Amino acid sequence: MAVVRWFKRHLVVIAGMITLGYLLLPNVIVTVFSFNKPKGRFNYEWQQFSLDAWKQPCGVADMCGSLSISLQIAVWATIGATLLGTMIAFALVRYRFRARGAINSLIFLPMAMPEVVMAASLLTLFLNMGAQLGFYTILIAHIMFCLSFVVTAVKARVMSMDPRLEEAARDLYAGPVQTFVRVTLPIAAPGIAAGALLSFALSFDDFIITNFNAGSTVTFPMFVWGSAQRGTPVQINVIGTAMFLVAVLLVLFSMAITNRRNKVKA
Amino acid sequence: MNTKDNSGDVRLSGISKTYDNGFTAVQPLDLTVPQGSFFALLGASGCGKTTTLRMIAGLEEPSSGTVFLGDQEVGHLPPYKRPVNTVFQSYALFPHLDIFENVAFGLRRRGIKSVKQQVVDMLDLVQLGEQARKKPHQLSGGQQQRVAVARALINHPKVLLLDEPLGALDLKLRRQMQLELKRIQTEVGITFIHVTHDQEEAMTMADTVAVMNAGRVEQLGSPADLYENPNTTFVANFLGTSNLIEAEVDSKSGDEIILKAGGGKLVLPEARCSAPTTTGGKVLVGVRPEKITLTHADDAGEIPAGRNRITGKIADSSFIGVSTQYVIDSPVCPEFEVYAQNIDRDSRLRPGADVVLHWNPAHTFGLDAAQDIDAGVDLEEEAA
Repeated sequence: MAVVRWFKRHLVVIAGMITLGYLLLPNVIVTVFSFNKPKGRFNYEWQQFSLDAWKQPCGVADMCGSLSISLQIAVWATIGATLLGTMIAFALVRYRFRARGAINSLIFLPMAMPEVVMAASLLTLFLNMGAQLGFYTILIAHIMFCLSFVVTAVKARVMSMDPRLEEAARDLYAGPVQTFVRVTLPIAAPGIAAGALLSFALSFDDFIITNFNAGSTVTFPMFVWGSAQRGTPVQINVIGTAMFLVAVLLVLFSMAITNRRNKVKA
Repeated sequence: MNTKDNSGDVRLSGISKTYDNGFTAVQPLDLTVPQGSFFALLGASGCGKTTTLRMIAGLEEPSSGTVFLGDQEVGHLPPYKRPVNTVFQSYALFPHLDIFENVAFGLRRRGIKSVKQQVVDMLDLVQLGEQARKKPHQLSGGQQQRVAVARALINHPKVLLLDEPLGALDLKLRRQMQLELKRIQTEVGITFIHVTHDQEEAMTMADTVAVMNAGRVEQLGSPADLYENPNTTFVANFLGTSNLIEAEVDSKSGDEIILKAGGGKLVLPEARCSAPTTTGGKVLVGVRPEKITLTHADDAGEIPAGRNRITGKIADSSFIGVSTQYVIDSPVCPEFEVYAQNIDRDSRLRPGADVVLHWNPAHTFGLDAAQDIDAGVDLEEEAA
């Protein structure tokens, strides 16, 4: 009886812990195996602790090159998709124009369509246009599928925005540009930021579309895929762990700032 | 404030607004609000009062006519170039800025560099000096409302526009803010134009009230004048409660009109009748519930001569502390309302008792019988 009661009382915590474990376990494995010293070419069995991979993260040929390409594409795709997507979102919410309804629903297509289909059709398009496959075709493809996520995130934010706030700004001597910069943009910022973060993450780890349209360019996910057939260097785990740590640190950092701000205000 | 200065006069000249869908929110309207006055636009929702206000602010473009501030025509100016500020319904405080920056917003947009002292003074005026670094959502409704007032007033506008500024507050806080706003207005001497659907609020705060209905100003005057001398049934019913009786003009004697209603006769001072009176014609006779005295039918002989009388039966009574409200069923009017102060309560005045209602003829007003007798009834509840 006592056990049942204890279980009932802590059910929420237990469920939370199990979920957290489920989510984090793969990351833990990746981290643990980044300190492994594998015997063969495959890093799937624990042998012994070693810092070798951490000391030489770029010790594998071509890996850091592909990482750099992936980061560049992710940054440019994020910038491009965020700029375009924000403008599209504002246009869709604020203005009534021809084909608005069509755009409104078609913008979700990249989210809904199977990636392989999109990848194949993009490749067909690029080949028919005679485009040189590589960095720029990947970038164009990434901007395209990131767009719909940015539009969705920003649109929700702009729609929930009280139109009176902009009227208040205009009433308080802010011209159209000032109103946009001082009121509209800061209030839409969380939506824009969410869209940008999503874009970065999606672009960085995209494999299918990239693989179809990359030509001879190799991005990080493509490198990992390719090397997994021949053997997995420990450095892949190092990069994975490092990215995870950066993400966690960013979250902790933003939480700390919010906390401090709230404390100062209170 | 210099009383000769008329730069804060607001003059609307033939201003009207018809929306794209064909709905006319404001019929062509001429209105002058004198410098330094506290002016209320009162009406139910959809009567055009907010549209009128937004046209003064520049947030709505008039379909015809224009707006003058003093001698300057501002009708063509965008809102950010008009020396007018608005306190919005639900305040519209900038959620991403703290209280200090909200209040400083207007000054900064006009390129004023040293805003600190002004903002501090303004926050003190609205008693929010200690909240300067909080975000709007951390304040209570009443505090947010005061920030909205401070944010507008700091710019020293020629006119301050208030769009239902107290609508979101609870009753007690609303009373408090009414006095507070009145105090601030007296202190700064700026013209206030206040839009509200709450007749009590309009009467408490404003020097002049314009009652709007269906895009028109029905009547304009001081609160007491509107209450005592309504010109239309809408004003009579929307401002407080009126008992309206259909009556027929019997004769005139001197400056008094004698009317027949039911079996009895009523006296109406001619000066208080806004309707044309020809013998045999119909008028609506009005009297406010608190002007009426209720006497039990057994004591009818004690009623002094020269008072207007009506007989009836008490249909309902409700005790509300300071007074008792009776509903009287009378041959001339099925639901006659009477408010009696609870000074000497007559225990015989219970539902079912026969009573005589009587009042001083000077408190009677006359209205044109051609209008809807129920115009303006219950509108306030709908709007609230």
